[in-house]
Amino acid sequence: MTKYLPFVWRNLRRNPLRSLLTGSAIMLAIALVCILRTMPVGFDRFLESLAKNSRISVHNSAGIVYGMPYAYLARVRAVPGVVDAVSWSWFGGAVDADRGVTFPSFAVDAEGVGVVFEDLGFAPEALEDFRRHRNGALIGRQTLNRYGWAVGDEITLVSMVYPLTLTFRVSGEIPSDQDPRMWFQRVYLEEAIRALGWSMDEVGMIWARVDDPEQVPAVMRQIDALFANSEAETETETEKSFFQNFFGVLEGLIAVVLMVTWLVTACIVFIAANTASMAVRERLRELAVLKAIGFHWRLLFGTLLAEATLLATVAGGVGALLSLGLTRMLATQAELDPAQMGPLAGFVVTNWMLVQALFLAFFIGILSGVVPSFGAARKSVAATLREVF
Amino acid sequence: MALPLGYPLRSLAQRRLRTGLTVAVVALVVIATTLFLGLVSSLRRTLVTTGSPDNLVVLRKGSDNDGSSAVPLEAYQTLRFFEGVARDPSGEPLASPEIVVQPFFFTEDGGRENVLVRGVDAQALAVHDEVRIAEGRMLRPSLGEAVVGRGVAGRYRGIALGREIRFGRRDWKIVGILESGGSSFESEVWVDVRDLAADTRRGSWYSGLRLKVAAGADRDALMRRIADDPRWTLAAKPEPEYYAKQAESANIFYVLVVALAVLAGVGAVFGATNTMYASVEARVAEIGTLRALGFPKRAVLQAFLVESLAIATLGLGVGVAVAVPLALAVSEALGGVGFAVSTFSTSVVTLRISAFDIAVAAGLAAAIGLVGGLAPAWRASRLLPIEALRKG
Repeated sequence: MTKYLPFVWRNLRRNPLRSLLTGSAIMLAIALVCILRTMPVGFDRFLESLAKNSRISVHNSAGIVYGMPYAYLARVRAVPGVVDAVSWSWFGGAVDADRGVTFPSFAVDAEGVGVVFEDLGFAPEALEDFRRHRNGALIGRQTLNRYGWAVGDEITLVSMVYPLTLTFRVSGEIPSDQDPRMWFQRVYLEEAIRALGWSMDEVGMIWARVDDPEQVPAVMRQIDALFANSEAETETETEKSFFQNFFGVLEGLIAVVLMVTWLVTACIVFIAANTASMAVRERLRELAVLKAIGFHWRLLFGTLLAEATLLATVAGGVGALLSLGLTRMLATQAELDPAQMGPLAGFVVTNWMLVQALFLAFFIGILSGVVPSFGAARKSVAATLREVF
Repeated sequence: MALPLGYPLRSLAQRRLRTGLTVAVVALVVIATTLFLGLVSSLRRTLVTTGSPDNLVVLRKGSDNDGSSAVPLEAYQTLRFFEGVARDPSGEPLASPEIVVQPFFFTEDGGRENVLVRGVDAQALAVHDEVRIAEGRMLRPSLGEAVVGRGVAGRYRGIALGREIRFGRRDWKIVGILESGGSSFESEVWVDVRDLAADTRRGSWYSGLRLKVAAGADRDALMRRIADDPRWTLAAKPEPEYYAKQAESANIFYVLVVALAVLAGVGAVFGATNTMYASVEARVAEIGTLRALGFPKRAVLQAFLVESLAIATLGLGVGVAVAVPLALAVSEALGGVGFAVSTFSTSVVTLRISAFDIAVAAGLAAAIGLVGGLAPAWRASRLLPIEALRKG
């Protein structure tokens, strides 16, 4: 087959403008498919990454904004099977009060963080620094990079929830590229709230880690039973389930994005099919001659198909690379707010997606080439020559 | 002398498959673009166009939404009598004290979402004059009654007029459905403010106030007076400004959509150019004949441009004809497209393709037709009659 490759290549170059136009169209379309797919794929990867741990979320069954008494924390810690637990309270800190909240910030209990979130892989010195400094904060890498903060920096945030402006010390990072969160010590917030003459006896949520993954369902039932028929009944679920629900509201958007992706794919097929049919039509005479002098129709079919496939695959490859560059550009758009779209706005084209895009282009090539090529290759010599002359 | 219009149009019918494929390409691009544009304009309609310019949102200074704000009871009692606040015919100030909270609601397929529940009193409909009760009636105080937004009614499980639904800590009876021309109030549930205060165990605090500014009154002076009052730390801003701020979280989508629509459009231009070149190639002899007969270059150029534009127009027609019902069907099937703004409460966006979206798509299709047809048409018009005839 390789010996016919130059033949295929020459055919492609016979009408360079057309090949270029078709190739460009396919390239753009494949790039588009790659970019669109980063959204659902990023979402799935995010949920996937949470599935591995045995962390559970305890919150008021009426809603996340309904709090629970702080005393619940000690009771959750005491449940057999729970390794440790921390409370989470929304602070709503903003770097710039006019722009509002640009990343989520929570008051947490310093002691449990390292144990409950063990899987995040905190640097020991970060946790140490966090515990030692009353105003210490652990901040997600995404947010650190965005604001150019480094360990040891002092940062000031205005709360959107309390009439407070607090200064924090960056103790270390939450080591994940896509993590926008900031955690700081609950005692620091409690102190500030007491200074206002108020008290802080509620928590928004409790995160607990269970030592044995097998035990998770039993522990969850036990915790909810503990607070049944109380002022604040709880709902306990796994971390994956929590975030699935939290970002589940975006599923409609993902559905629309996927639909558009399919439309674009169909578009590529039509563009490629159009070109293939043009290329074949022009060459009917020459194909008839080739057959008349003894070339088998299968060979002609093969070379025509190879032509469409080669064009689509090469263009698809370039398009996939193009999407890499374009997503980088999107991700670095300064005025955009990655935290707002959560895991949808990572814009990360994975290697696997590149491979898939290449295969997609390959199959589009075959799909678009097969009908016109087959028709032309199978046409009887007599019929073709009669038609042409 | 121009060529009759029938010439380019009948040429299209000559090559049905190729014309059909190119029309399909344009149509798909139009569908993809209008769907995305429709998503953006629907998002904007829901998030941005909420509120009326003579309404003020009064919140604790420094809080950016009523979910995280607290306004003391005494502030409400005082502020509503400030000069510049409108009055109803009975002399009662048009001031609406409100509490908001976001309990869980459950979608038909089991999803759990935070829905904004707004506790209101008797003045609510007079202050929020864009809101009207479309079905049933307005809630009555202290009876645990609720009025749900149109978007909420279509999205969550167990919601129907006359039914009881559980959210927060108690059951509520749904007595009406509210509409507000697609704005974000349709994603809310309204209950009595005292019922909600009891359910959320809130003391003597409201989340925020909405004031209607009297006609002819100085809105800015009223805002300044509220902000400068030393008894409380409050701030007032016009409702549209407040909602525009909330809507900023959707900005990333606008950038994305424009970028993607441009990409798709450029791709379609290449596709259309290709078809038109082929159309010229196939008709070299014909063009030569036309030129030899005395048709000027301009006539040939025009004819090919018309042909290309006709393809684009057909594509546009097919695309719009598919996209508009498709958007409605998708929206219906999904129970509205959900979107969570920075406050985490769910906005239910009804996906609808507006006239403006169609106009933009028409512009795109025209650009595809023109740009795609220009180079080939130019080339056709430049063919030398003698050579063209010989080639054919």
